[in-house]
Amino acid sequence: MSKLFKNDTIEELREKEDQWQKEFYPTEKDQQFFKTLSGIPIEPLYTPKDIADMDYLRDLGFPGDEPFIRGVYPSMYRGQSWTLRQLAGFGPPEETNKRYKFLLEQGATGINGVFDYPTLRGYDSTDPHAYADAGRGGVAIDTLEDMRILFHGIPIEKISTSLVTCQPICNISIQSMYIANAQNRGVPLNELTGTSQNDFLMETAITIAPEVLPPKASFKLSCDAIEYCAKHVPRWNPISFAGYNYREAGCSATQEVAFVLANAIACTEELIKRGLDVDSFAPRLSFFFSAHSDFFEEIAKYRAARRIWYRIMKERFKAKDTRSLALRFHVQTAGVSLTAQQPLNNTARAAYQALSAVLGGAQSIHVDAYDEALCTPTELSSLTALRTQQILQQETRVTNTVDPLGGSYFVESLTNQLGDRIVALLEEIDEMGGIVKAVEKGWIHKEISNEAYAYQRAIESGEMSIVGVNCYKIENEKLPVELFDVPETLQIQEKKIKKIKKERNSLQAQRALDDIARCCDEDKNLMEVIVDSVKAYITEGEISKTLKMSYGTWNPPVF
Amino acid sequence: MIKNGIRVVIARLGMDAHWRGSIVVARALRDAGMEVIYLGNQMPENIVEAAIQEDADIIGLSTLSGNHMILAPEVVRILREKNMNNTMVILGGTIPPDDIPKLKQAGIAEVFGPGTSLKKIVDFVSGSN
Repeated sequence: MSKLFKNDTIEELREKEDQWQKEFYPTEKDQQFFKTLSGIPIEPLYTPKDIADMDYLRDLGFPGDEPFIRGVYPSMYRGQSWTLRQLAGFGPPEETNKRYKFLLEQGATGINGVFDYPTLRGYDSTDPHAYADAGRGGVAIDTLEDMRILFHGIPIEKISTSLVTCQPICNISIQSMYIANAQNRGVPLNELTGTSQNDFLMETAITIAPEVLPPKASFKLSCDAIEYCAKHVPRWNPISFAGYNYREAGCSATQEVAFVLANAIACTEELIKRGLDVDSFAPRLSFFFSAHSDFFEEIAKYRAARRIWYRIMKERFKAKDTRSLALRFHVQTAGVSLTAQQPLNNTARAAYQALSAVLGGAQSIHVDAYDEALCTPTELSSLTALRTQQILQQETRVTNTVDPLGGSYFVESLTNQLGDRIVALLEEIDEMGGIVKAVEKGWIHKEISNEAYAYQRAIESGEMSIVGVNCYKIENEKLPVELFDVPETLQIQEKKIKKIKKERNSLQAQRALDDIARCCDEDKNLMEVIVDSVKAYITEGEISKTLKMSYGTWNPPVF
Repeated sequence: MIKNGIRVVIARLGMDAHWRGSIVVARALRDAGMEVIYLGNQMPENIVEAAIQEDADIIGLSTLSGNHMILAPEVVRILREKNMNNTMVILGGTIPPDDIPKLKQAGIAEVFGPGTSLKKIVDFVSGSN
């Protein structure tokens, strides 16, 4: 037993605190005005009585040790900084390759590659649906040749790459191209480090469109990549449960964590069902969270998520490897909190948000650029975002000690309360039959939509302040920033696809697509066959069409 | 006062599948008593086709990818081609301010950028503003 406070101490304090409260807070009328962004009521003051039941070793422990709430590594940022992983991607791969190199030259320590909308949804740049979106929101990748160009001159054997392949239908092709490109360059797969997003909720609930893969099929593809990596690419994180995006779509902090954990539970169950030992893949399950504007709630969120994941892995899945028990996560500052009005203010917003991520123990961070509510970031705005991280890292000294807010009456109490809410929501999803079912019946969509609508109404009623939008407005503001123009993409991609289709061995290409179709029929792991198939220079769009032919399509019930 | 029976088709333009903005607006319009048909992501041809079938008074387009200069005028053009002259097209999303006059010139009735209040959109659609 290592209780934080003796019962006598608490009793004594309680008396004093009641007196204090009576004197300075005679009524409770102000209570309702103070709550977290997700709605947890906040007291005027926190004292030992708010965490009276806590036991140090059971509930807090030491960093790098159970229950990991204080951090996943013993020395945290004293030993190694978080990775400065700034998102980049636009236009054709030739252009994005230059931006990657620019960010690395300026001190970025990892690549965070985002793909254009057609690529994310499994379409070629030349698809009739895609012509207006090629190169927008990310880089256009159609074939292995594009992947070669994207990483040309970048030491992929040394630097870790995050592939923001949100949707499994995208990941199964794009990650396969990344692996095939590494093989072509002679990089052994066991040296390859990085992460792919590969989250089936991204395809079926978070960013959705008509005629996507059905939830079960998308979930299968996601698990195929995890299984493949556990066997062949051991240092790769084959999934990054994209809580960030759930939050961007409308989730509260509670939902963000509950939904990612429910997804991680489903993947774990599936992979165990496929015969894998939990410790063979769980150390490489990784998470992606938002850093939204409620500073303390976000810190509490990261800490609560770590403790809950630890308990799930330990108690539910009997994991033994310490790395299976430790929840590692990337953070992106909340895009949805950015304003198009007075855009330079976004630098301040993102800096506070990034600070919450660091105080919450993040492993890697992207800070949003100030112009992201208006356009793809310019070189200047990307650089300012990177510098925001470097100021945090080098100047503020918040990294000097591990989990500096651990033991704070308020932060611990909030961590516990948020944790209880997350666990309750997880139980609800369990009772529903798990996350895949919750998606299939549209429950997730409804929950998120309700929350997004409530959030917007809170802004409009003035209950929630957004500087520059519903207060401190500037009428007829002249934009103080230059906007980014996406370079010509479609023509460049069209030319390459044409050339490739002409030059590739058409028999081999057809055989590759047949192999994929057969694999679908036989319900085998698709990643294994697609890694080989992309070497025949089939396009991402061809692969997606083959998958949709086999699995059919689904219209998510969002409205 | 909100005119009864206004029929609005809401669609996301092109490929980008973030739905938050379009759904929140769709819900606000529905709560204001309008008939809302939500199409999700579609290309201009299909949007116009749906608008004809649904006898829409207004088409609300949503996009954040930057495809608006290509696809939004396309919707207006096809609409006019089909003689749907009474159907108004409005647009919301991350639209750089410099593009707004060009879009209006191309026949987009109104553009609602990030931070626009739902009230403003509802008022515009219901014709009271």
